[in-house]
Amino acid sequence: MMDDLTLLGFGPDGWAPLLLKGCLLTLAVSATSMAIGTVLGVLLAWARLKGPRWLRRTALVYGVVLRGVPELLVILLLYFGLPSLILSLSETFGWEAPGLPPPFLIGSVSVGLVSAAYQAEIFRGGVGAIPRGQFEAARAMGFGDLMCFHRIVLPQVTRIVLPALGNVWQFNLKDSALIAVTGLSELMRTSLVAAGSTRHPFLFFGVAMALYLVLTTLSSTAFHYGGRYSNRWDRG
Amino acid sequence: MSKTLRGAVLGLAVLLSLGGARAADLPPRTVVIGTEGAFPPWNITRPDGTLIGFEPDLLQILCQRANLRCQLVAQDWDGMIGALQAHKIDVIADALQITPARKAVLAFSLPYAVTTGVFVTQKDSPLARMANRDLVLDLDANPTPEHQTQALAALREELRGKTLGVAISSTYDGFLDKYLADVITVKSYRTMGERDLDLLSGRIDLTLDDTTYLRPLLAAPDAQDLVLVGPELIGGELGAGEGFGLRKDDTALAERLNAAIRSAVEDGTVRRLSLKWFKADATPTLDAHPGAAAGSPQP
Amino acid sequence: MEEHLTFIGSVTAQLVRAVPVTLLILAVSGVCATVLATGLTAMSVARSPLPRLIQRTWTFLFRGTPLILQIFMIYYGFAMVPWIRHGILWAAFRDPVFCTCLAMTCCCSAYIAEIFRGALAAVPRGEIEAGRACGMTGFMLLRRVIAPSLIRIALPSYSNEIIMMTKSTSLASTITVLDITGVAQQVIAHSYRTLDVFCAAAALYLLINATLSTLLTALERRLDVDRAPTPLAPIPPTLEPLS
Repeated sequence: MMDDLTLLGFGPDGWAPLLLKGCLLTLAVSATSMAIGTVLGVLLAWARLKGPRWLRRTALVYGVVLRGVPELLVILLLYFGLPSLILSLSETFGWEAPGLPPPFLIGSVSVGLVSAAYQAEIFRGGVGAIPRGQFEAARAMGFGDLMCFHRIVLPQVTRIVLPALGNVWQFNLKDSALIAVTGLSELMRTSLVAAGSTRHPFLFFGVAMALYLVLTTLSSTAFHYGGRYSNRWDRG
Repeated sequence: MSKTLRGAVLGLAVLLSLGGARAADLPPRTVVIGTEGAFPPWNITRPDGTLIGFEPDLLQILCQRANLRCQLVAQDWDGMIGALQAHKIDVIADALQITPARKAVLAFSLPYAVTTGVFVTQKDSPLARMANRDLVLDLDANPTPEHQTQALAALREELRGKTLGVAISSTYDGFLDKYLADVITVKSYRTMGERDLDLLSGRIDLTLDDTTYLRPLLAAPDAQDLVLVGPELIGGELGAGEGFGLRKDDTALAERLNAAIRSAVEDGTVRRLSLKWFKADATPTLDAHPGAAAGSPQP
Repeated sequence: MEEHLTFIGSVTAQLVRAVPVTLLILAVSGVCATVLATGLTAMSVARSPLPRLIQRTWTFLFRGTPLILQIFMIYYGFAMVPWIRHGILWAAFRDPVFCTCLAMTCCCSAYIAEIFRGALAAVPRGEIEAGRACGMTGFMLLRRVIAPSLIRIALPSYSNEIIMMTKSTSLASTITVLDITGVAQQVIAHSYRTLDVFCAAAALYLLINATLSTLLTALERRLDVDRAPTPLAPIPPTLEPLS
């Protein structure tokens, strides 16, 4: 027991600083991938709803593929495939080979790409949930596309999609654990390294589980209050 | 009096540390050295960020002797060769085995250590009684001595049907493919830690890894059930010892480092440091590795 | 070019040989998770607080942590627990496929139980009251009234969960199982042709998922009593709100 406390402490043999750093990195990777997913997801939703035919098709295929292929495979593909792709591209075009992308970037992009596919569906559904009549009314009042988006879509969609985005965030948070395979020292990887080098896997995986529970619980509470805030004008 | 004495001692110390090398007349040069900082006991990052281990210790001495201002930076192994080519670092110091495959892209210094590969199994496993524990198989030996051919054949028989775990893309892939892959099951692990846990739990029968990694592991209190078995392996696909990785055109740096390595090997510094960190003597025999010198024609 | 095609052909053949492993994990954990989820759903509506507490804790624990961590806990963590390591259970825990199935059963049962719980709440009260009025009680009511409605309501979300599970089977590769992803990584370690190998593996997963989703959509349509069967394109898997 004393032994466990030393291993989890802040002393020279304690893993507490690294585990906490891992938590922060997990949050950072999840937030980055969430942001990438939101930007790309909005674009994809727009492409599905308003894009020309070829773009609609592309967005549809993107969604089917990224939601049908294991996240682990996407991460591995980007992690192992991207460097060789960059290298062969730079050889073909005669560029000077750029440095390899850091694991943080590869990890957030790959989780972000998957996240985008789910978020696109959510945004599409959110826009679909706005009554048709509102668009017709806006058009009748001479609203342009941008005005329509700004005054009608944006205020309502944010409110509608927030709970679903909360779910995607939870998935992102848990998917970020898969980035451990690229060697990025987020929470999962740190607990694995600690488990391997101290040979106390039960202890460290248990602690990592507890830390993930803290992260998921805190963020779901945050989304809950965010939802209440964005619904503050709603009656009934 | 005391001043004179101190001066004399200092002078002697400088003389000793230069080890008779020509370094004194070389102009100082700043060198950035990349290391992983996560490969005990070669290089280890302490929680406060400082680097310790066999290589940081050795480099401190080598840099002094070669009149180099060395700056040690930790970075992942993945991007290290790229960083070297991009001039972000000048030297790779990461227990880099001098293998034929790596010589195609890198120049190497003289080896500053030579370590063997060895098998580890559980004490209660039938493999604990594997033969030839005292033998060191030199896979480079040419012609292959009779007893070595027999030992390899015996190894194949003893390991037939067993499961061996290694870290993925390890130094041993080439050896296993060539000599054992058709009779054993090889399980690949992403990290050595995962492999060690499965060795302890008995999910794999044995592993093959560097003695410098395995000896400290076996000394740990929770690894009392493990034992070193079978012959130790060296040379061939396993490489000709550990050397610094350098850019192929940086021959000036190679010459400086080689002279310093030679002096550290000859005066017993390497022996002292390897006993400290590896609990075994890892001093290389430099004359046996003429091909390892930097700038030599590539095979 | 021809050499390239030959390579892709041989890789695909190697990967296809690993499909049974992926499907085995999916089938075993799919069936076990569904059975366990049924039990958890029953606990969630129990009168006494203890079963409800157990169900809530179970859901909290398994939905709040990454599956990969659960797999590592069961595979590496439990292997260091003396009574498992030296007991009769070791025969099972020794096997990485068993550990994957166990972790996926626990994790996915929590998700499926939430789907069932939501569906149970959506079964029209009137139907149950009508059943009661006809003199049905207990098991009869469950079998004749609640279950048919519940299955119809839950099926779309349940199908999504099955697709999610298919994707999750790839995590088995992280504990040395040679499923599709595991074999893909093994091939790459020897050939370094990353893109070809991973694309072939991705295509296999897409094929499995497309087949499953077509089958489940067909089942949905068969069970849909309100609507006449119309030829619809298979619905791509979507993420369902969880709570």
